[in-house]
Amino acid sequence: MVDDIQYLRNIGISAHIDSGKTTLTERILYYTKRIFAVHEVKGKDGVGAKMDSMDLEKERGITISSAATYCEWKGHKINIIDTPGHVDFTIEVERSLKVLDGAILVLCAVGGVQSQSITVDRQMNRYKVPRVAFVNKCDRAGANPYRVLDQLRQRLNHNAILMQIPIGLEGSFSGVIDLVSMKAIYFEGAFGEEVKTGEIPSPLLHETVAKREEMLDAASMFSDELMQAILDDSVTEELIHKAVRKGTISRQITPVFIGSAYKNMGVQPVLDAVTHYLPSPAEVENSALDMDNGEKMVSLSSDPDDPLVALAFKLEVTKYGQLSYLRIYQGAIARGDNLVNTRDRKKIKVGRLLRMHADEMEDISRAGAGDIVALFGVNCFSGDTFTDGRLNYSMSSIFVPEPVISLSISPKDNRSDTNVAKALKRFIREDPTFQSRVDEESGQTIISGMGELHLEIYVERMKREFGAEVETGIPQVAYRETISQRTEFNYTHKKQTGGAGQYGRVAGFMEPSEEGVYEFINQVKGGVIPTEFIPTIDKGFRSCLKKGLVIGFPVLGMRITVNDGQHHVVDSSERAFFQAAVGAFKQAYLKAKPLILEPIMRVSVECPSEFQGSVMSSINQRRGLIMSSAEDGVFATVEAEVPLAEMFGYATTLRSLTQGKAEFTMEFSRYSKVPESLAEELKLRRRERS
Amino acid sequence: MKDFLKVSPLRILERSTHKELGKGNLGVLMARAGVGKTSCLINIAFDRLFREEKLVHISLKDTPEKVTSHYHVIFYYIGKVLDMENEYEVRALLDRNRIILAYLKESFDLNRLRKNLKNLVEEIDFIPYTLIVDGVDFPEAGRDMFEGFRGIAKEFDLEVWFSALSHRHITEVNERGIPFPCNNLDDLFSLIIQLDSTQSGVFLRLLKDHDSERIPDAMVRLDPNSFLAME
Repeated sequence: MVDDIQYLRNIGISAHIDSGKTTLTERILYYTKRIFAVHEVKGKDGVGAKMDSMDLEKERGITISSAATYCEWKGHKINIIDTPGHVDFTIEVERSLKVLDGAILVLCAVGGVQSQSITVDRQMNRYKVPRVAFVNKCDRAGANPYRVLDQLRQRLNHNAILMQIPIGLEGSFSGVIDLVSMKAIYFEGAFGEEVKTGEIPSPLLHETVAKREEMLDAASMFSDELMQAILDDSVTEELIHKAVRKGTISRQITPVFIGSAYKNMGVQPVLDAVTHYLPSPAEVENSALDMDNGEKMVSLSSDPDDPLVALAFKLEVTKYGQLSYLRIYQGAIARGDNLVNTRDRKKIKVGRLLRMHADEMEDISRAGAGDIVALFGVNCFSGDTFTDGRLNYSMSSIFVPEPVISLSISPKDNRSDTNVAKALKRFIREDPTFQSRVDEESGQTIISGMGELHLEIYVERMKREFGAEVETGIPQVAYRETISQRTEFNYTHKKQTGGAGQYGRVAGFMEPSEEGVYEFINQVKGGVIPTEFIPTIDKGFRSCLKKGLVIGFPVLGMRITVNDGQHHVVDSSERAFFQAAVGAFKQAYLKAKPLILEPIMRVSVECPSEFQGSVMSSINQRRGLIMSSAEDGVFATVEAEVPLAEMFGYATTLRSLTQGKAEFTMEFSRYSKVPESLAEELKLRRRERS
Repeated sequence: MKDFLKVSPLRILERSTHKELGKGNLGVLMARAGVGKTSCLINIAFDRLFREEKLVHISLKDTPEKVTSHYHVIFYYIGKVLDMENEYEVRALLDRNRIILAYLKESFDLNRLRKNLKNLVEEIDFIPYTLIVDGVDFPEAGRDMFEGFRGIAKEFDLEVWFSALSHRHITEVNERGIPFPCNNLDDLFSLIIQLDSTQSGVFLRLLKDHDSERIPDAMVRLDPNSFLAME
């Protein structure tokens, strides 16, 4: 157990794909002596980086699921969650941000603030995560940390402050100058493990003094003591650290560090920054919902002696059973404890309590508030809250985006058939953005997720981890239906087929709901429908929302008001009112002018400026709406909204349009009405199917 | 819903000779720092958008996200003033007619703009009626830049509105009563409007009206939050 919470840090490492965050993590593990050899992400030795524990990650050189690991640095205990960089896996990023207290934002000194960095930054803002920035790859041709600093300020709106300046750049990058200690820092030894300090090279002295002044100016905004010390010329390192820490924790400053993880330069100062500037769990305000008190928001204490509140934020099913990653917010967990899952009130016993190190594990006997641990053999879902039974708290649910794309899969043989079911069961538990269902009409299994790559990875994992080979259909867009006008209903369900009959009448109206969610309003007066049947009527309407009557996709944004009805003392039952609601829905739905909605994606394309025109044209051809284009040096970023249905195969189009020099990211923005011609086509397809 | 044009700051032009800036011409909105130049300029943009004309907003200082959020804030006030019921649909409609071009870190030059406008016209058939240009440093930009803009206005058959920062401590005024920083450039602009904040409120004043010798005594009082004309 961590003895003093002040010396604990829970951090994430987030960035655009290929910015080198996995390499940075690998170096951190090496310098903190958690590993004893360094392997590259796409290294020739074929071992792969430590944090990329899935075979697929090692092969593709991208991190797919977060791996948690633990290390120690200068008396501090650090839990690191490595997060994926591709936008299709943002649920992983979101989940880790929820449980983190701080983060390192890794940026490429050449690529700068790229589209995915913007997405990740938005997510970090949502979870109020303080961060330090690390400008990586300063050894690469075209590296310019000052440009990245400007982009941090301009594009991400950060009050970014350089804490170091580089000694040389590109091929001549040889170290950094620390603006706090005013020393040059060099990294020697086979893997940069020997940190040597020296005098500031004289050609850089003038620049160093100017940059230190800028840093002091910004830091002094957070400390009167530092401001006074600047006036008295008595600034100490401690005063600077204190002021920068205050600014960072309040998210008003982003300290910026520079280096090259691949060339083993600048990593140790980032670790120092994590301990100096990022908050301990005790400095972060966390809250939960009190389920016994109308889901009232309550603050959590981060005291290990208080009743336990912990959140299962990630699941992994290993060959030995399910591994559940937990963040303890309050209280403590010890081996042998009984925990209660707030969702189903079921008790579980803590068998093995583990501290994770990528895919290796270390048994521990106890862990306290602030810590991140893993439990073996606990049956739960991602997002479940655990207590020791003294409280009935639930952590506010992690924001889960709706899947936007689906794919039919059919097992190639009998063996695969059994294994697919096992694989799907596991994936659904692990990832709330991954869903699966059996299509009633075709009998096919349909999987849904956040993008083509997201589903592709799961299909690949079925094959590799479960030996389940499947054939996949063409990706399908997750359309939705909604209504556009208020319509009344008055439906009587009446059945007399011998024995007890069925009778129930419901009347009221359906109308569009601006909030985009389903709402049920009971305005029945005088007991014309007995109270006990009202929830059943709600249930009846809900059951209809799963499949709209226009093209069979779920219905969004509908408000149902029931204000009249009738019952029969003998023949009315829950079943009768359920059927009455279903009948009322069918009676009114098509009269309420239903519309078909399609997911609209926010697309961001980065390309050299000369391709701006072709990129715009390619978006325009895909029914896209260009929102903006920003020119920054020789690069342009085109932002647009494009229907997902038009984005299939865009990566290939973009590659050929721009000689492979452009890249794009997309994320779900909203649902929007499909054009009339497409609506007709979708209706026709539906008629052909049935 | 009320008519936007009744609360548009461009009501200032009701008494001007042409009633509008007009294609091929340049116009400028001058104000001191912090008075609400950008907000007022965005209202000018909304004036064009509510007339269902296409518009390109050019920012030389802010990112597209920042510009968009400026538009959202102003639109929020417009929604309140106009008592809009279908706010979401109206905004979506207006968004379709606006494209933001941002030039960050001194990436701006007239040739680049010309090329980008050509892309909009030729590649996506977006033919703007108005350019809104925010963030030009007038003293720094020099006469050549505005002559270049005039060329663009004629070439693409559009009108261009600028914002210009005036300073309390620079009191230079030319013989036609045009203050710094437009005092040496006023021949290039067809309309010059000044936004002033006084103790009695925020006002728009017409300083130049095309080639007219006599400037109509036009003044419009604006709401200090929404920068919409007060009825």
